[in-house]
This record gives sequence, structure tokens and C-alpha cells, in this order.
Amino acid sequence: MVLPVVGAATLAVLAVVFYYPVWTVFVSAFADAAAPIRRVLQSEFYMGAANGLFTHPARVPGDVLAWLASVRVRAAWTGLLPDVWVRYPEVRKGLFGFTAWQAALSTLASVALGLPGAYVLARFEFPGRRTLKSLTILPFVLPSIMVVAGFVATFGTNGTLNGVLTAFGVERVDLLYTLEVVVLAHAFYNAPLVTRMVTSAWENVDASAVETARSLGASPLRAFRDVVAPQLLPALAASAVLTFVFTFMTFPIVLGLGGLQLATVEVWLYARVQQLDFETAAALATLETVVSLGLTYVYLRYEARRAAGGTANPLPRKRLFSLAGDLRSAVVRASIGVYGVVVVLVFLAPLASMVLASVGGLSDPTLEWWRFLLERQGGSRTQPSVAVRNSLLFGVGALALALPMGVVVAAFSARGGRGRKVADAVLMAPIAVSGVVVGLGMLQSLVFGVELFGYRVSVVGSAVVVAAHAVAGYPFVVRNVAPMLSAVDDRLVESARALGASRARALWDVELPLVWPGVLAGAAFAFALSIGEFDATVLLAEENAYTMPVALKRYLVDRAAGPSVGPAAAMGTVLLVVTAASFVVIDRVGGRYRP
Amino acid sequence: MKRRDYLGTAGAGVAGVLTAGCLQVEEGESEGTKTTESSGTTVGDTADSTTSESTGPLTVATYDSFFGDEGTAGRWLKDNWEADHDTEIEYVAPSNGINEYIQRKRQDAGIDADLFVGLNTPDLVRVDQALPDTALFDDLRGDLDNDGDIKESLEIDPENRVVAYDTGYIAPVYDGTEIDNPETFDALLEPAYEGTLLAQNAQSSDPGLAFLLWTIHEKGSEEYLDYWEGLLANDVRVLDDWQPSYNAFLEGERPMVVSYSTDQVYYNAEDELPHHQVSFLNDQGYANPETVGRFADTDQPETAAEFVDFALTDEAQSNVAVNNVQFPATTTASLPEEYDQYAHEPPEPVTFTYEELAGNLDGWIESWAQLVASN
Repeated sequence: MVLPVVGAATLAVLAVVFYYPVWTVFVSAFADAAAPIRRVLQSEFYMGAANGLFTHPARVPGDVLAWLASVRVRAAWTGLLPDVWVRYPEVRKGLFGFTAWQAALSTLASVALGLPGAYVLARFEFPGRRTLKSLTILPFVLPSIMVVAGFVATFGTNGTLNGVLTAFGVERVDLLYTLEVVVLAHAFYNAPLVTRMVTSAWENVDASAVETARSLGASPLRAFRDVVAPQLLPALAASAVLTFVFTFMTFPIVLGLGGLQLATVEVWLYARVQQLDFETAAALATLETVVSLGLTYVYLRYEARRAAGGTANPLPRKRLFSLAGDLRSAVVRASIGVYGVVVVLVFLAPLASMVLASVGGLSDPTLEWWRFLLERQGGSRTQPSVAVRNSLLFGVGALALALPMGVVVAAFSARGGRGRKVADAVLMAPIAVSGVVVGLGMLQSLVFGVELFGYRVSVVGSAVVVAAHAVAGYPFVVRNVAPMLSAVDDRLVESARALGASRARALWDVELPLVWPGVLAGAAFAFALSIGEFDATVLLAEENAYTMPVALKRYLVDRAAGPSVGPAAAMGTVLLVVTAASFVVIDRVGGRYRP
Repeated sequence: MKRRDYLGTAGAGVAGVLTAGCLQVEEGESEGTKTTESSGTTVGDTADSTTSESTGPLTVATYDSFFGDEGTAGRWLKDNWEADHDTEIEYVAPSNGINEYIQRKRQDAGIDADLFVGLNTPDLVRVDQALPDTALFDDLRGDLDNDGDIKESLEIDPENRVVAYDTGYIAPVYDGTEIDNPETFDALLEPAYEGTLLAQNAQSSDPGLAFLLWTIHEKGSEEYLDYWEGLLANDVRVLDDWQPSYNAFLEGERPMVVSYSTDQVYYNAEDELPHHQVSFLNDQGYANPETVGRFADTDQPETAAEFVDFALTDEAQSNVAVNNVQFPATTTASLPEEYDQYAHEPPEPVTFTYEELAGNLDGWIESWAQLVASN
């Protein structure tokens, strides 16, 4: 009885704060036989060369052949190695093409930066490992405005990196306002996702399976390839898909670090909404969502064929700082050292620069901005402590709602065929719909109210904020838990059912303990998402229910402080400390609790 | 103490939130004695109320930085108004600005604000374009007494509904220790200024839009795209908003940023001034007047007009200008000497009128944005 009730409640929450509001926006894309969508598809600006598919499909094969015919390849021997030039006419990517291209690059960068972290955290033992693991997703909660400021301070002309380079007598690099730095910032946000998800999968690998393979004569590499890797792939693929979807819909970061020259679809979508052209906005959002959900569905089909099992017997961890005897472990440790330097530069430096900015930087230290926060504390429109309290309340509330929602949806999708995968993909929609559209939908339905029986009913307030945060966060719980759940041996559940346990009871007593690391990882994400959320909070919460990111934004435009980012950096530092402490608590309490 | 105040008033507000879905502004003030009366009874002398209109607080919708704490224009107006009026002032700052009210009007969702503070000319054009058959604002000017001294150049509304309360000028701010004053638009295309300028996205940023309009004003609606092609070739960067671009300028990333001509007000120390110079290109600056309009749906038209009249008094004008880091809208207001010294006005202010923008604005912005973002 319990599961259907929770499932129905989940659907009700989703319908009220997500599906209905979003539908009110999307519906205008289909006006007049989907004319807005057709206009976008036929526009060279939006689609680049691909617009030919929709304007004159008959000519496409000929165009492609003509393009192929004009590709020139030259090979020549210059010295020892052959030199090969390939020259081809430029193809216009269009807004969608460029957006997908940068998302693909960002996904690669996130995996490249995140995967070694998972390896270190899952396979080595060192002081502070658990805390470090808890803190991996910290970058996830930082408001984009602070990330932009942190990246300027780190990778700018006069930034930390160039300071280090000149100290070593190396040439300065101009990274700012390039695609590279945008990709790096996306990796800053999303590599932690890869690290965290793969780590929890890695810790769930059953050591006895590896030992069996080894005793049958498999080399360590072979054992990894045949036994460990298949169990990591679903988590890696899931985090890669999530990263692609997020960076496909990136918005403030790309403008702040790259500029309008590197605009993405979401940038246009926002501008359309600003100019009240909701039809084009809806058309863009629909196409974005088709891409995101399509990708999600393909991934889910793949996930269904593979499974990572739960275990109470994780692989033993090596001690990172023990004296290395042989060459191989020396090489491994050296590589980890290099990776550590990269982590310090990409993740720690931007965070540290924000903390530094809150005390006026190294050159001109001042406590002015912290005094500013104290003054605001003493009775003002926006008080830091109130922001901290509201953030925590919303975060805990969102967690309490997102966990049951996520676990129930994961249980629903873990066992089932094709039809369920479609439903599962649709249930992932909260991460696949543009944030701008969700905000607009909430505004015109929840905030403005809907005519019901002659009354205008509007739904706003703190409870709705919590619901909105939970809806945004629960897909993370699902994607962390579902793969592990589908790997739990069916016979365990069946025996529990045969002994008279209800389905809910079996889930609670048998399955959940086996997939607990996934639940914990999902919980951390759901909490992080709530803490960092801005748009829905501003729309739905009353003026006095401001959270930390909202306070930060208000301090940023505070006339009393002038144009300095100091006050916002101080608030960002508070946000960082509060969030870090929360993650450690979630992991510690959750780790001890294990049902 | 404050918390209790808030709870006491929030209780009365909850019903309102559930039915009207409004953004509730409860001022949790340090004085601790102010509580918002939701019941509609005012304590004290009501004899000076001229009419029987609603006696609840006057709700003023505006942007975030206009109000808040000490040192904001909104706070000054609120404190000084409430000192000798019974009606309280409540500010709200919807995150999507005037669009919030355009959409509310379109959907009949009810407008619970009386005044909107912070409309510029493009905003007004957009309002009228989006609501061709309904009036979002009413004839506030007909009820004003103090609007006789508004600077001629700030009269932006052909239908005479809104009134200017301050104005700013957009101009590049440059670091004089790094580059010379470019002085003309054409100079920005020269190699000396390659990779020096940071602008903002005209689709979403006020100074960004003002700078784009300025270039159209200078180069013409046919040639401005050619000029921008030149700027892009000279590596101008168009960021999303004023804050990130100005922060990058402060960090020394680029020596020039599109900003406001009052820049030195914040940087008037001996050692800072050389790094903060204003360049009035072609001896101009693009004026961005800010106006206030009264919602047609207000149930307190007279109090609202009275409040605007109060904001147009000489004393209010100079305080609003200084606190908002802008210039007064009236010819009679004076600025404090030390402020005036650092707040620079362009030799020739230019701006597009409402009529010039109507029908062109969206097309100009879109063509420009597509040029910048072509992939």
C-alpha cells in the first residue's frame, strides 16, 4: 500500500510544480501546426547548415556530395614523419550546432577531470579521504556569478595562473573569453558529478569477484577490464549524460566568461522571454528538450542492459602515502600528484580567490566586507543569518521530499521493460527542461494563479519552493539509485516477499541497505541543488524567505558597497562554509544510519 | 524581536499570499516598532487624508538596487515620506522587472503595486507594443504639481503618462594608465584599441542596450552593423551584464568597459582617479532617463501622485540622484559640491526618443545579437 501512495504523491507534486507549469509554456510552440518550431528549424542562424534538411531536403544529398568533393587532402614527407593537411570548406554550425559542440567538449573535459578523482577516492586511503569525498560536489552549489569572478581571478590576464607562470619564467596565457575557459568552467561544475557518481559505484564493486578473477589467473588489468569496469560504466555514462544535458542548457557562465560571441541556445531563449516572444522561446525549449530527453532515453536503454551490484564487501583501499616499493606504484603516485596540482588550479584556486576577495585580496587586505555583512545582520532588508537559516530549511525540506520521490521512481524504473524506460525518461524531464522555461511556466501558472471554479488560485510560498527544489533534485537520486537497484539479486526480494514482506517492506529492509551509497550520493546532490537554486526561489518565495544565493545577488547590487564584489564574496564564503559543513554531516549521519 | 514582528504580520499575510500570490514585503526594521498593518486601520491622525481611498501601504515596484538599506534612494524616500505622512511605503522588486506586470495585465492576474519606478524608454516602448489595447499606466502627469521643472530632454513619453525622476549617462570608462582616451567611435576600430573594450549584451543589460542604441544613433540604422563588425574584428567582448564586465575591468582584464559617467563617485581617491576616466565618445554620452509610472489598476491614485510629487521636490531630487549615483531630473535641483565634482555629464547628451524606437527596437537588437553570435 505504501509504495503506490508515495508514487501517487510524487506524481501529484510533479504535476503541480513542474509538468503543468512547463506545459503552459510549451503549448505555444505548437500553435498553428507547430509553426514556431518550423521557423526555428528552417533558420540558418539557429540550425546552421542543417537548416537545409528542413528548407530544401531534396537538395541535401547533392550539397553533402559537393562538400565532400571539395575536401582537399595533401600528404607530403617532410623529414621523418609524413605531414597530412586536410582542408575543407567551413560548415556553419548554427546556434544549436555550436551549443552541442561546446557541450560535447565540456563533457569530455568533465570526465577527464572527474574520473581520476573517483579512482583516487575509491582506491586509496589517506587522511581526510571521507571529508574530501563529502566535499567533492561543493563546486556544484556556487552561484555562477561567483564562479565567473573566481575564474577571472584565477585564469585572467593578471590571475593566479599567469602569476605562477611568470614566476617560472613561462609565457603568459590569454584564456579569458575563449571557448577553452568556458569548457573549463563547465568542468568545474560537472567534474564533481562524475567523481561522486563513479566513486559510489566503485565502492560498490564486490571485492570477491575481483579475487575470483585473479585466482583464475587474470592479470590486475584484465580483472579490472572484465570485472570492475563494467560496473563503473553505467555510473560514468549517467554522469556524462547529465553533464551533457546541463552544459547543453548552460546560460550565465557562457556569457560571463565567453561573451555573446559564444552564445548558446539558452542565451537566445532567455532573450526571447525578455522580449515577450514566448512562441520562439517555447520552440527553442521544445527542441532543447527533445535533444536532452532523447539522449536520456538512449542512455536508459543502455543502463537497462548493464547493472552494477550492491555489496557489503568493497575493494580494499591502498594507502596513498605509504612508501612505494616498485616502479609501477611510484608512477601511479606521481600521476596522482600531477592530478592534484590540476585539481588545486581548477577547483581550489577559484574557490580560494572568492574567499580572498571577501577580505579585499592579498594586495590590500581589509575586513570591510565582513563588517558589511555584520552591519546587514544588525537589521536590514537582507540579513546573512536569515539567508543561512532559510537555505538550510529549504535544503532539508527538499531532501526529505526528494529522497522518497527518487527511491520510489528508481524502484519503478529498475524493474521493467521498454515502456517503463519511456516513462523513466519522461520522469527525468526536470533536468532536461530549460531553467528559463521552468521559471516562466511557474510565473504564469503558480504565481499568477489559475482560474478554478471562478476563483483565481495561486500557489506560492515556502512549501512550494521546497517542492520545486525537490523536483529539481530528485532525478539525481533516481540516477544514483536505479542502476544499483536493478542489480540487486531478484531472489533476495522474492524470498522476502515469500516470507510475507510487503513490496515496501522488501524495498526498505532488503534493497535499500544494498544501494545505500547511491542514496547518499543522490541526497548530497539533491541538497546541493536546493542550496544553489536561485530562479524558482526568487519567483516563489516571499520577499523575506530569501536564501543564501538570493542574499548574495542582493549584496552584489547593493549601492552602499559600490561596484565591489567584496560583499557578495563574503556571502559566497558563508555559503561555502555552511554547505561544506552540511555535506560532511549528510555523509557522516547517512553513513552511520545505513538502514 | 524582529522575528516576532515578522511572524505577527506574516500571519495576516498568509491569507493574502494564498489568494493573491503576491510578493509580500514585510519590512523587518531595526526600530522594531514598525509593523505592517494588514487590517487597513491606521493608528493616529487620519484627518489629512483628502479622500476615502484605501489607507493601506503604497506599493512601489522597482529594481533591486533602488531600495534596501541606508544609502539607497528608495530608503531615503521612504524614511522622509513616512516622517510626515500616514501612508507607509512598501517596495517590491519582481525578478523580471516590468515584464512581470505586462504579463499580469495580459493574463488578468491582478496588479498589486501602485507605482513602477525605473522605466526607461525601451521599457515603455515594449509595454505599449505588448499591450496595444490596454493601459498598464494611467495619466499620472495630470495629477502632478511638481513636474514643471523636468528637463526637456527627459520627457520620453509622447502620451505623457510617466515622469522622469533621475537620469544616467552611458559612456566607456577607461584606465588612463593603460590607454589614451579614444575620444571617437572610429578610434575604437583602430589597432591601438584592439582587445580593449568590454561591452554588455543588449538583449538583457541596460548599459549594453544603451551603448548599442548610441552606436545606432551615431552610425545610422543601416550602417551600425558594419560598425559593429569592425568592433568585433577589433576584438570587443560582449558579456552578459554590467557586473561581470565591470569586475573584469577592475581585475585589469581589459582597460575599457561600457559603464556610467558617474564612475568616479566611487573611485575619487588620488591614486584611483587615473584608473577611472570617462570617455565621452564624439563628445557625447547616451542618456538613460529613468521614469516612474502609475498603474491604471491602483486603488490609491492620489497618494501615489502625492508620493511622486514628493520625489520631484528639490531636496528629494538631489538625494535620489546621489543615492542612486545618477543625475536629477529637474532643472532646479542641485547636487552637493563633492558629488558634482566626480559625476560627469557629457557635453552633448544623446538619446533615442520613444517614436524613434517604436517599431525598430526588437529588430535592431536581434540583428545585432545574431551578428555577434554567428557560428
